[in-house]
Formats: sequence, C-alpha cells, structure tokens
Amino acid sequence: MPNARTLRGRTSLKLPEWGQALIFLGVGLVSLLFLDATWIRMLFLVTLYATLGMGLNVVVGLAGLLDLGFVAFFATGAYVVAIWGAPISPAVTGTTDFWILLPMAVLAGAGIGLLLGLPVLPLRGDYLAIVTLGFGEIIRILALNMDNFTRGSSGIFAIDKPQYGLGQVDHVNEFFVMVLIAAMIVWFVTSRLRDSRVGRAWEAIREDEDVAAGMGIDTTKYKLMAFATGAAIGALGGAIYAPFIDFVAPQSFSLIVSINVLALVIIGGMGNTTGVIAGAAILIGVPEILQFDETANLLARFGWLRDAANTSIDGLNALTTLDITKLPPAEEWGDKLALYRFIVFGALLVLVMVLRPSGLFPSRRRQLEFDSEPTEPVTGGV
Amino acid sequence: MAAGELDVRHLGMQFDGLSALTDVSLRVPPGEIHGLIGPNGAGKTTMFNCLTGFYKPTAGEVWLSGDRIDGFLPHVISGAGVSRTFQNIRLFSNMTVLENLLVASHRTIRGQPVHEVPSRQRGRFSRGSLAKARKVPVALGSGLAEIASAVVQQPSVRRSEREAVARSRELLRSVGLPGRENVVARNLPYGDQRRLEIARALATVPRLLLLDEPTAGMNPQESASMIALIRSIRDQFETTVVLIEHQMRVVMGVCERITVLDYGRTIAEGTPTEVQRDVRVVEAYLGTRAIKDSNHAAP
Repeated sequence: MPNARTLRGRTSLKLPEWGQALIFLGVGLVSLLFLDATWIRMLFLVTLYATLGMGLNVVVGLAGLLDLGFVAFFATGAYVVAIWGAPISPAVTGTTDFWILLPMAVLAGAGIGLLLGLPVLPLRGDYLAIVTLGFGEIIRILALNMDNFTRGSSGIFAIDKPQYGLGQVDHVNEFFVMVLIAAMIVWFVTSRLRDSRVGRAWEAIREDEDVAAGMGIDTTKYKLMAFATGAAIGALGGAIYAPFIDFVAPQSFSLIVSINVLALVIIGGMGNTTGVIAGAAILIGVPEILQFDETANLLARFGWLRDAANTSIDGLNALTTLDITKLPPAEEWGDKLALYRFIVFGALLVLVMVLRPSGLFPSRRRQLEFDSEPTEPVTGGV
Repeated sequence: MAAGELDVRHLGMQFDGLSALTDVSLRVPPGEIHGLIGPNGAGKTTMFNCLTGFYKPTAGEVWLSGDRIDGFLPHVISGAGVSRTFQNIRLFSNMTVLENLLVASHRTIRGQPVHEVPSRQRGRFSRGSLAKARKVPVALGSGLAEIASAVVQQPSVRRSEREAVARSRELLRSVGLPGRENVVARNLPYGDQRRLEIARALATVPRLLLLDEPTAGMNPQESASMIALIRSIRDQFETTVVLIEHQMRVVMGVCERITVLDYGRTIAEGTPTEVQRDVRVVEAYLGTRAIKDSNHAAP
C-alpha cells in the first residue's frame, strides 16, 4: 500500500525525486570536465541561487509566508564568514576556520530568522511582505553603518578559503563542487521536511491558518520553524558565497537579491525543487549566457540571415517611403545582445508567465490552485 | 475514550458595542447529541467559535469534563478534545483526502497525550515575561527535534506515520468514504466534502464534536443519511455532539435535547417536543403576530 510519501506525485516528471537529484548532480560534475571557468562560474551562481530558492520555498511555497527580505539571511551568513574569517575585519583579531564558521553562520541565520519571525507572526499576506521587505533593508543598512564590524561600504575581502584534504578551496571548480554538495543536502533536507508531519502542518497553515489551528497545529511555532529553516538555508548560501566572491559589502545585499530568489521560485514553479533549479537556470544563468563569447560566436554564424533581412529591407525601402535601418553585421550581434540582455531577459520572463502561469514545473498542488475553481462550494467565513 | 461533558457557564461575547452572546449557560452530559438552534444571527456560530478558541469569550467559563478550557488558543483546545466542522466547508481543499486527515492527526502522530489540558497558570496568566522566557528554550528544543526527526525519519517516525495512515483509512470507512484517500478534497462531491470534514474533525480524537450545520445544502435523502452518520459516530467514537442545525426534520430526528438561542440569549432548552411547544421559540422563529393569529384561529 502506498504511504503518505508516495501518494504525493507532485511533479509533472515521472522520475522519482532522488533520481532527479542524481541527474542534476551528475550533470554538474560532468560539466566540470567540459566547461571553462566562465561557465563554471555561471553554474556556481545558478546552483547557489537554486539553494537559496529551496530555502525560500520552505517559507513561501510550503508555509505560504511571503518573505521579501530573504537577502537578510544571505547577508547574515556571508558576514559571519567574512567577519570571523578575514584577517582584515576590524572587530575580530585572528581568523576562525571556515568549517567552524559554516555551522555558526547557519545557526546565526536561523536565529535572525526567529528574531524576524517573532514580531511579524501575527501579520498575514501583504503586511508580512512589507515588514520583511523592510527587514531586508534594515540588515543592509546596519551592515553599511556598523563600520566597526563590517568596514561599511569598503567591505571585507581577503577572506580565508575553506581548507580540505588536498589544499584549499580557491579554484572556481572547487567552489562549484562545494555548492553542489550543499545544494544536494538542502534538497534532501527540504524534501524530507515537506513529506513529513512538519511539512503537512506548513501546508495546512498555507491553505487555511485558522482551520489548521483548530486541528491542533500550533501555528505560531510552525511558522517560526518555517522562518528559521528558510533563514538557515539562506545563511548557508551566504556562507559559501563569501569566500567565493571574496568581497563582502552591503552593496551585494540589496533588495534585488530577494526579488531574484522569489522570482526564480515563482518562475520555476512554487513548491517544487526541480522547478526551483529550472528557475535559477533561467533567472541567473540566462543573463550570464547572453554575454558569453560562445553566444556571440553562435550568433555570428547567422550572417546569411542578416543578408536575407537586409535584402528585404532594401526592397521595402525602395518600394515605400519608409527608411528602415539595415541590420548590423552578425559579428556585432553578440555585443548588442550583451548590452540589451536584460530586455531580452525581461521578455523571456513575461513569456514564461504568460505561457505557464503556475511556473515551469509546478507542483501538483500549485497547479490546482491556479486552475479555475468550479468545484469549490463555498469559501470564507468562520 | 470517554465522551466529554460540556459545561458552559454564563458565557458572554462582546464585539465592541455588539453583544453577540449574553449569559449563555449550557450543560451537555457525556454522549448526548445536543442541538443548538435559533434564527439567523442568534449567536450559534459565535458560540462554537468561543468553545473552540477562535474567539476569546469576554465573560463566563467553559468547562470540559472538569477542566476549564476557555481562553486557550485553538490548537490547545483542540488538544483538550474539542473539534469542529464549519458552516461553509473549510477543508484544505488542495490537499488530498488522506492529507486532510493526516494534518488533523498531527498530535497523535507525535505521540502527544490525547486530551491534554494545560494548567491555567501557564495558559491565561502567562503574560509575565518570566513565564514566557522559560518557555523559549523548550519551544526551541522541540522545534529542532521535530525538524531533525522529519529529516532523519527514524523507524519510530515511519511507524507512527503508517499507523496514522491506517487510522485515517479506518475513519474514511466510518464516514462512508472508503477508498477515496487520494482524491483531492476540492474534487469531492459536496456531500462527501461534508463527510470528510467530519472525518477530519474525528481525526483529532475529540471528546466533544461540534457540527456547524452538517446538512446545509443537502436534499432530504442526504440529510437522512447524515442523521444516521451522526448517530453512528456518537456510538462508535464515544463523543458528545453539539450541532447547529436549521432543518427542523434533522433537529427533531437526531437531537436528544435542544437549546434555542435568540439575540445571543438562551430562550428555551429541553427535549425536541418540549421546545417545539415553547411559546418563546415559536415567537422567535415566526414573530409575535403568528401566536396571536393562531390564538384567534383556535380559541
């Protein structure tokens, strides 16, 4: 007999979830063999953001708490590693090993998550979004003004690299493997949580908070748990990001990070890890890819297309009073694309949301929520 | 599991200037099916909301089998053994039937004691910061332990999950929805959604079951089978039942005793036949004119 776990059938893919995880892990590791540093760097960022997305997914996707200040936890993780892991930091003398700082950062993130969670718990929906938005900004401004600890906008750099058996993690490939492992752990943890009593409580709170409480769920406690779990994962991401980027400054933790993480969760399909990874690939990967040399080289091959287009433009210009500018040489297309990549990117996002409003890979439940609701009898009222 | 005894003493619920309930007292012996009737706006649902902690009553006390339960949060009252359904069905509509029941099995899966009423000291009078501070490490620890056991899923966790699934299937059979575990709740027919709501309420192992208009929107046949279901639930699960109802056929058919509310006050109480003959009840439902008319008609 199927148990609660196997009944879920969440994704549109038939593959079991651990199978999907293995495929991603395999693709990631194999790509190390074939791709150069620029591409691996892109993949690192995609994987990092996918990890952040999985964390936010716990808060937004499962518990239904709209958190627009997720960057605060990312910043917390990064600053813990930077302040205690860099010789340059003003408040702390000496440095601590990365592998000690990593769990510290995760704990600090969870603690900050609880701190944020406590006052905002009575709030719902839009109000929660506004308060968390403010909280994200507060953390950034704190980092900017507490120069005694954070060196303000000058930032902290020369952060000690993580040590391991063969030396230290300083090449982009090694960082990529590190974030890949972190992502797999987070995937495992979040999927286990989702398929447990805890995950069910979160989803019940999202569906109807009052009724969930009436069924014996301590909603305050579970909302706090969701906040803390998401925050811990955000801080984990920040802790890995700090030694990779090797420059931790308030500018890196602006609102746009929160927006990006939320957007990739929504575009990928809320409540689903495969979707989150797809969202990260599109949201973080595509703008990078659009400015790569490979993309420019690829476009340069379309000289014939340009010739054909320009011939028709010539024809049109001769026949009508229109004066259409001819297309530039295909060799320049790559540069133009890099220049206008965010316009292209924006169009792509609009396209995704128009064609698949519930995301690329929606979870079964989200799919339901986006369907029209003819069968629902009555809602509302206590 | 013994059915609970409900004792409501001088309950009052005031919303700013509006008095929704005034000095309502009600005593329901264990195992009784008790009807709560009254015209629209009489305060019936408000009463349920007060009993379940959705509202905090502004006056009076609620006792359940010797424990005072008013003033606690809804999840605590649920843990004490009070469960309810809603007038407008409020299922977790995007979750499957089984998941709906598993959510309500929340406490039993964890192995928390059935029917636990915290002491009043920690409940109502815990406003002091010291009392709160003492609870923080406990709450932190239990939250962490829960996350850990959800991730590790040690054998005992898996076992209790399996048991909860088995219990849920049993419940579905009891309410006449066998084999519908994997249907998404919103796709169930209306009558089945009502049954699922009752099953979900039962999954919390209540001593007192509050049913808010269980036959609303049902045709006579469906109502009749709902009556049979309510009776069989009371017998099988040994629970006290209080139900709000508008269909007189249902009220007279299933309730052993009835309380009539009007404008937030008790106007009558007794067996169905007693209540039916009560002048004030007829007045409340049909107006004073009706009584005068009937007096003229039958001198």
